[in-house]
Amino acid sequence: MNSNRYKILVVEDEANICSFVKTILEANDYQVLVASTCQQGLMMFSSHVPDLIILDLGLPDRDGLELIKAVRATNAVPILVLSARTMENDKVTALDLGANDYVTKPFGTAELVARVRAALRTRRTADSFSAAPGGKFYLEDMVIDYDRRIVTVAGAEVKLTQTEYNILALLSEHTGKVLTYSSIISTIWGRIDEGSTKKLQVNMANIRKKLGSKPGDNRYIINELGVGYRIQDPPTAPGDDS
Amino acid sequence: MKYTLHIKDALFSVVTLVASFALNLLLQSWFHTQSLIPMIFVLGVFLISWRTQGYFWGVAASLISVLAVNYAFTFPYYAFDLISPECVSSAVVMLIVSTSTGTLTTQIKHQEKIKAEIERERMRANLLRAVSHDLRTPLTSIYGSCSTVIENYHSLSERQKLELLNDVRADAQWLIRMVENLLSVTRIDDTRVQLTKTPTVLEELIDAVLVKFRKHFPDQEILVDIPSDFVSIPMDAMLIEQVLINLLENAVIHARGMTKLQLTVTCQDGLANFSITDDGCGIPADRMQKLFSGYLDHRDIPTDGSRNNMGIGLSVCSTIVKAHGGEIRAENLKPQGAAFYFSLEMERTYEQQ
Repeated sequence: MNSNRYKILVVEDEANICSFVKTILEANDYQVLVASTCQQGLMMFSSHVPDLIILDLGLPDRDGLELIKAVRATNAVPILVLSARTMENDKVTALDLGANDYVTKPFGTAELVARVRAALRTRRTADSFSAAPGGKFYLEDMVIDYDRRIVTVAGAEVKLTQTEYNILALLSEHTGKVLTYSSIISTIWGRIDEGSTKKLQVNMANIRKKLGSKPGDNRYIINELGVGYRIQDPPTAPGDDS
Repeated sequence: MKYTLHIKDALFSVVTLVASFALNLLLQSWFHTQSLIPMIFVLGVFLISWRTQGYFWGVAASLISVLAVNYAFTFPYYAFDLISPECVSSAVVMLIVSTSTGTLTTQIKHQEKIKAEIERERMRANLLRAVSHDLRTPLTSIYGSCSTVIENYHSLSERQKLELLNDVRADAQWLIRMVENLLSVTRIDDTRVQLTKTPTVLEELIDAVLVKFRKHFPDQEILVDIPSDFVSIPMDAMLIEQVLINLLENAVIHARGMTKLQLTVTCQDGLANFSITDDGCGIPADRMQKLFSGYLDHRDIPTDGSRNNMGIGLSVCSTIVKAHGGEIRAENLKPQGAAFYFSLEMERTYEQQ
């Protein structure tokens, strides 16, 4: 056992789910802290400073969204939200409040572990970005050169418009994190109006076409239907995520 | 809404009255007899009381008819003679016809409402029964397998334990899919709740469907043929995703001997036409009729113990498509295979960026 293990705080009120999440995370060599209420979660967060929070939105005392708000006010720790299918709106709200990713219940253990890994990696890549501005981004055979604002796939340059490049670069700077439609729109165009979701969708369709993605085989950008987009994490082997 | 209904009723009444009047004039000039005249007016009044809301238009029409008969078709012609006993009695008859027709139609409408209510209740009860039956089997097996592993932890071999746990996982996955379906139905069963349709990019929808489908059936190849243009369709994406996954799964589970599974979308005249076709064994003729309407009766459930949620899956599809204003169809193909079709309205206009 290694004492430098990542510390994960699980905030979930259902004992059975808690117990299996704890087991699977410990089996993958993470240190797990458990809280069953929002209050307790916040307390444990400030006393233990975990590397990642796994948060269920339906907590008995307060809304899980409040925990996100409270944590994000001071800290950029990755937050992974567990959401039930009936709470689609909460999912988007959680992401907009700063959650990194969500896993829909019921989820498989492999999926959970993959998302945890991705979220922890996000933290590292975010750090390295600020350390070395204007590096390169590699994902399978796609390379984004931030200095020259050029994207290549298998060595061949992909001709993107300004907007298309900006969207792709934005997603790549937040690998593993789902960016909601509204957060992409407000970063790229600065304001949100009636037609902006359509504008984003059309741009995204063009990006997919130019990158040569086919339905069911989007190697670079994962579309989260009705929520937003996310770029695959570079080191994730294909199939790892299923 | 209410206002336009009134206008419709008024229009219908006026048209019917004018038509009866004109018909009477015609008949009178042809046959030179007056025996038909009251009949025609009674028929007019009957139609009006039947087709309009409430009593008002029927009663008004009967009074007007009496006046018309009195004025135009009885001696003295083209003059009123309102105090004659003939006039008063015909007015009474007309009024009785209109009010009793009105009462009858109201009753019938009321009964129809009750009937629809009963039908809905029956569907719900059927669904509940089918579901409880279907849920019991996997739950029993999950409970049994887990108990076996716990109670015989040391005497079972690794392989046996793994096998039992694999069964548990498969059953649980099946239960999850079942519950997803039920959730979809309850979401639209409540007639007060409107679907929230958001413009959804066809390509992204199909992508999500394929990714999800591949998780359950990693080895099943699907041929996809969709327009390469940007197509946006207003829909509840979560629900339509469920429809497509159900139809694809249905093919994988039930189309025996299938070698090709195809998902096609074509766009024409503002409609996006979805079709899922396979070249399997086709749909048995005796199933065709109740494919979407009924949850399977108990006697229809195969006795070989094979799990069968086709009834629920397909009726969920039908409910969802109906809630989107469409209709789902199924047919057998020649020489073999089955096809499922449904259409959704596309977004009217969009500006290509």
